[in-house]
Amino acid sequence: MNPDYNVEFFRNFMLVMNALDNRAARNHVNRMCLAADIPLIESGTAGYLGQVTVIKKGLTECYECQPKPTQKTFPGCTIRNTPSEPIHCIVWAKYLFNQLFGEEDADQEVSPDTADPEAAWNPEETAARAIASEKDGDIKRVSTKEWARSTGYDPVKLFNKLFKDDIMYLLTMDKLWKKRKAPLPLDWEQLENHACPQEESPGSGLKDQQVLGVWGCCQLFRHSVETLRSQLEQKGDGAELVWDKDDPPAMDFVTAAANLRMHIFSMNMKSRFDVKSMAGNIIPAIATTNAVIAGLIVLEGLKILSGELESCRTIFLNKRPNLRKKLLVPCVLDPPSANCYVCVSKPEVTVKLNVHKTMVLSLQDRILKEKFGMVAPDVQIEDGKGTILISSEEGETEANNSKFLSDFGIRNGSRLQADDFLQDYTLLINVLHTEELEKDVEFEVVGDAPDKAPPPPTNQEEANSITNGNKDSAQPSTSSKAPAEADDVMIVDSEEEEEEEEGAPSSSSAAAATSGTKRKHQDAETGEASAKRPRTNQSSAAAAADEDDDDIIALD
Amino acid sequence: MIDMIEKEDPIISEEEAAQYDRQIRLWGLDAQKRLRGSRVLLVGLGGLGAEVAKNLILAGVKGLTLLDHEQVTEESCRAQFLVPVTAQGQNRAQASLERAQYLNPMVEVRAVAERVEDQPDDFFLQFDAVCLTGCSRDLMVRVDQLCSQRNIKVFCGDVYGYYGYMFCDLGKEHNYVEEKPKLVKPPSDSNDGPEAKKAKVDPNETTMVKKTASFCPLKEALEVDWTSEKAKAGLKRTPVDYFLLHVLLKFRTDKGRDPDPQSFAEDGQLLKQIRDDVLEALAVSGDLLSDDFVSYCFSEMAPVCAVVGGVLGQEVVKALSQRDAPHRNFFFFDGRKGNGVVDYFGLN
Repeated sequence: MNPDYNVEFFRNFMLVMNALDNRAARNHVNRMCLAADIPLIESGTAGYLGQVTVIKKGLTECYECQPKPTQKTFPGCTIRNTPSEPIHCIVWAKYLFNQLFGEEDADQEVSPDTADPEAAWNPEETAARAIASEKDGDIKRVSTKEWARSTGYDPVKLFNKLFKDDIMYLLTMDKLWKKRKAPLPLDWEQLENHACPQEESPGSGLKDQQVLGVWGCCQLFRHSVETLRSQLEQKGDGAELVWDKDDPPAMDFVTAAANLRMHIFSMNMKSRFDVKSMAGNIIPAIATTNAVIAGLIVLEGLKILSGELESCRTIFLNKRPNLRKKLLVPCVLDPPSANCYVCVSKPEVTVKLNVHKTMVLSLQDRILKEKFGMVAPDVQIEDGKGTILISSEEGETEANNSKFLSDFGIRNGSRLQADDFLQDYTLLINVLHTEELEKDVEFEVVGDAPDKAPPPPTNQEEANSITNGNKDSAQPSTSSKAPAEADDVMIVDSEEEEEEEEGAPSSSSAAAATSGTKRKHQDAETGEASAKRPRTNQSSAAAAADEDDDDIIALD
Repeated sequence: MIDMIEKEDPIISEEEAAQYDRQIRLWGLDAQKRLRGSRVLLVGLGGLGAEVAKNLILAGVKGLTLLDHEQVTEESCRAQFLVPVTAQGQNRAQASLERAQYLNPMVEVRAVAERVEDQPDDFFLQFDAVCLTGCSRDLMVRVDQLCSQRNIKVFCGDVYGYYGYMFCDLGKEHNYVEEKPKLVKPPSDSNDGPEAKKAKVDPNETTMVKKTASFCPLKEALEVDWTSEKAKAGLKRTPVDYFLLHVLLKFRTDKGRDPDPQSFAEDGQLLKQIRDDVLEALAVSGDLLSDDFVSYCFSEMAPVCAVVGGVLGQEVVKALSQRDAPHRNFFFFDGRKGNGVVDYFGLN
């Protein structure tokens, strides 16, 4: 997203084809192609699935016309207090890595959360707990890293704090365990004494695919802590490590810590192979799917270059043929969405937030960059004076960063004009002040589907993946938080097909949905380590009709 | 057939595990091991052949034999990315060898510069799967007959301009597994109260289900009787690509080559004539195939080779690894429309 590649640069070309792996870059290219009015061929693959589509300003939907599901995040108390799935433990372990060895982040706390609303027996208690926890923080504001350093990163001391003391503390919050199985603290000495030399039967599998025993995890924990500790020492004062799934001790650490926590919370432990898939957000890939999609990209390109835009289609590659025997399903392109906040002529949104608690920096980073995909925003307040809130020039408005919006007279009903000149994009933001936002929620875009809503029971990839950074956000992965394996997919429900064009007899078109039907957006499945999604009612009904009694299209 | 020992070799090296990591995460270690024990014959190194070769080599089969008697021409360089442009005049299989091998040194790739028609029967028996491209109908029928009885998986495919197809015969009893979601029974004993949940194991566990699929020989698939009432009724839902295939195979048989852009006018005429003859012989309406196809079926188009080669390659992988349901038994691709259709032809 280098400013050298500006709109003029894009205008050099008749056609742009994307082969990207993250949303931030896709959003950016989308806007550049809209600004330059050049056709864009967008595509994505994951496992056996893939799709291709064409984006042309004014004619079709742009990449951002349909809201895409954002990366699933878990509530702090689930991670810190009441994990119920392996992924919660893996996220916790990654947070722990950062707290101990990397960049500490207030949103990545690992210690028990005393302010958990679920822990209180009555509302008054919640308030009391919240105050107490804040006070507590004041008194002993020792960061996890400082504490670890004070013990010399002693693995056994670390182990006992995280997997014994903290768990015992959680047990005192008895309301949490009224209807849940309580966690069982671990004790290093006990485990050591009871450890029996296990038969290492590598069997016919990969070493990585073995599931360790508890003592094995303990040893892995100790070993990885020691290795990471010396990595840290080598880097010198104020050093920070960045988690990388391909760095063995970092991966070992997360495997060990996550598994120990899973064991504590009575979950079956997972192999390093599986942990790596989830922690590293790995999307399986095979040559054949990529070959098919690449071929389709070129075919769409040929249509564009021949001036046959109207024959362009969105094409989905399924794993199994659908009811109409199609493995490759072409669909007519949709026209632009009237409420798109990117490609309509005067984009406008309404954002709900607390003007007294939202900092200018948050507006820039979380809202404009992450949420609205800007790269270098300039913001002025529509107050008759054109007060500049944020300048894309480095340093110019730095002094504003930690001030709150209300400090600038921004209040309910205020309007902000945000520009990204590189993308040639202007967005008008209506501010809706509120004091009532959900826990952990900083802002809400009016008209968006709620972020934390439990997804329909289909998309396993969503549930199993969380990155250290914001793979899914509009921020490019150059931030220190995330060189995540960012393979991204834009898979959309492929139930709809176009009407048969040759005017063939109606038997085939009877079942055809129209292109106007709303489509849901799904990311595709991850590998076999994570499970496949179960069939929904829709496709079950269809399946019953099919002779083979097999899954038809796995997407719904 | 190859040694069982080879197929059952349990050890996957660290190097292989790293190389094949992203595909192992998709189809599992067992599937990868079976691939790792398989030998494949690939006949025809045109555009489609090159794509299939690339896909199988990257997938990690044990051995791939490239067989072709043709020479590299200027035209074949366009849709075939394994031959360097400097290799004109050389044998196609041999000219493809270097780049093919370079894709994955762990696969044994070899080239045979001979006619497939000249190979004795037992030549084919050393393979687990055979893939025929650019072959005549008679040859494909013969090889299919010979191989599928011996549990050798047979695949055929071609690309004609914007059109392409793939056919497979995996035998009367092809066994494979499918991953299905496991049904989770609610706990029958809950002393902790009605809402008590045991701490969850993976919410969506899966289980491997064994299945079988049956295939008919190519001969039978091509000799469907369209005069029966049932067939006539099914005609409406039949992809016309099936009939187009008959036309193109007949052209190849009669002329010993595929339609050539250099003789567009004559070949175009001949194609229409053959279309009329074929449809009449099959006792179906002459209207099924309009004249349009003539403009779009010349030469191998690289992107169409990629699509058909991708589907065909994946079918070979599935069949060798015995995982996931195979497409039965034809796949037709129309690059003008972006349609990819699977359909079964043959007595069933």
